[in-house]
Amino acid sequence: MAGNEKLVFMVLHGPKEPEHATIPFVMACAALGSDVDVVIGLQADGVQLGRIGGVDNVEAAGFPPLKRLIADFQALGGRLLVCGVCLDSRGIVAPDQLIAGADVVGAYRFIAEITSATNSLVY
Amino acid sequence: MTATLTELETITADKIVDARGTACPGPLLEAKKGMGTVPVGSVIEIWSTDPVTKTDIGAWSAKVGHEFLGAIGADGYDRVFVRRGK
Repeated sequence: MAGNEKLVFMVLHGPKEPEHATIPFVMACAALGSDVDVVIGLQADGVQLGRIGGVDNVEAAGFPPLKRLIADFQALGGRLLVCGVCLDSRGIVAPDQLIAGADVVGAYRFIAEITSATNSLVY
Repeated sequence: MTATLTELETITADKIVDARGTACPGPLLEAKKGMGTVPVGSVIEIWSTDPVTKTDIGAWSAKVGHEFLGAIGADGYDRVFVRRGK
């Protein structure tokens, strides 16, 4: 699926900011459609996007529903990493409350993904 | 190479991908899916109501090795033509 290029999107906004939460998944799906390897890292309130039911009814104007975008992202081979500390501080219990395929990680894993990427973007 | 409007109108696509009503990146993902179902050298025609599809598909084709043939307007949507290159 993936070629030699890799993008990392760091998403720091949750469902209360639909555009900030949605656009990185739009970009990620477009990249995956071009055979670019993609990792999305959820930190701060962005971890809410990895919670089961966390994106129900989240839809930024003009964009597909976020729940569908995340499903497309995972179906296309995108990898979803979630900050463990950010989950703990919000009382979100992993893995029970996380969507399938979301991996809970620490700072070093994020750094390893970013330093091995062609480019990283922060939303 | 992009075809002329007259040439585009004469093309009979091997597959039509109807992505009307879906927003970015839906048409691109549907195009990718459709491309995987036809042999190399085949032409797919993507129907889209999203005005950015024709530029996105053009850039995507160049990136992944397909031939973007061009786009023509239809009744409320665009018809975008791409030949599978690999």
